[in-house]
Amino acid sequence: MKTQMSNTELIIIGGSAGSLQVIMEMIKKIDENMNFPIVLVVHRKAYSTSILPTLLQQFTSMKVIEIEDKTELQNNEIYIVPADYHLLFESKNTVSLDSSEKMNYSRPSIDVTFKSAAEIFGENLIGVLLSGANADGVEGLKYIKKNKGKVWIQNPETAEVDYMPKQAVGQVDYDLLIEPRDLAELINQL
Amino acid sequence: MNKKKILIFDDDKVILEVISIIFEEGGYDVEISETSHDIIQKVSAFQPDVILMDNWIPNIGGVEATKLLKSHEEYKNIPVIYVTANNDIVALAASAQADDYVAKPFNLDDLEEKVAKHIKD
Repeated sequence: MKTQMSNTELIIIGGSAGSLQVIMEMIKKIDENMNFPIVLVVHRKAYSTSILPTLLQQFTSMKVIEIEDKTELQNNEIYIVPADYHLLFESKNTVSLDSSEKMNYSRPSIDVTFKSAAEIFGENLIGVLLSGANADGVEGLKYIKKNKGKVWIQNPETAEVDYMPKQAVGQVDYDLLIEPRDLAELINQL
Repeated sequence: MNKKKILIFDDDKVILEVISIIFEEGGYDVEISETSHDIIQKVSAFQPDVILMDNWIPNIGGVEATKLLKSHEEYKNIPVIYVTANNDIVALAASAQADDYVAKPFNLDDLEEKVAKHIKD
């Protein structure tokens, strides 16, 4: 049961190596009445096929959608940023894809999407950073905090690759250190 | 009881990560490889019960890698399930002498079912 009205309008989850296990566990247990969309920014190879949405769709009846340019985000749906594009927010429900230079050796870059969303959603954004092997996302989390949003970081001790969450924990004034098994429940309580 | 072993060749880390999780949760012992380099040594070291082989696996490709395995006296009987998004999947699997095939993007339940079918008790 939800204990309070949530102001959350968007959750962005960023991750790299080792993050899919956490994402899969979350998707299996998440309530299907979210009052906001979830956007997944997961590093993958430039030429990756669009198999990830198909795979993740098999764990939920919520729609899992690979974002296209100008996709309009809807509540209670899960979106995946396609390989080889940055995701930028134009408004609260309109996004664009961008193929400009890689950031932190990454495209999509978690930083790019965190920063873009922070400017538009302010305190109503939650940025989540999971397991990964580089520091992409850390600067974006700082920007989310600067714009009064909330920052959740996977406990590095539980991360398959702890570099990314370790960097974030060391540099960002986070709100929550999350255990993978608790992520769905934390979202369900919003 | 010893865990059944599955060796997965695919150059897509996303696929390797997701399939590994699924099969590990299903009680399998999983080994992965992003290349077919040293395939015989990898099979020799892990002794899999079944192999999933991607068509575009770097080094020599899925067809040649499977043929190599199927020409090896000791390992030719290990079932190889060929995995590809290519429309010519039936011909490719036959050319590789694979035992079965699964088209990408696959349904995870179907994949598990196919793997189970080829693993001997």
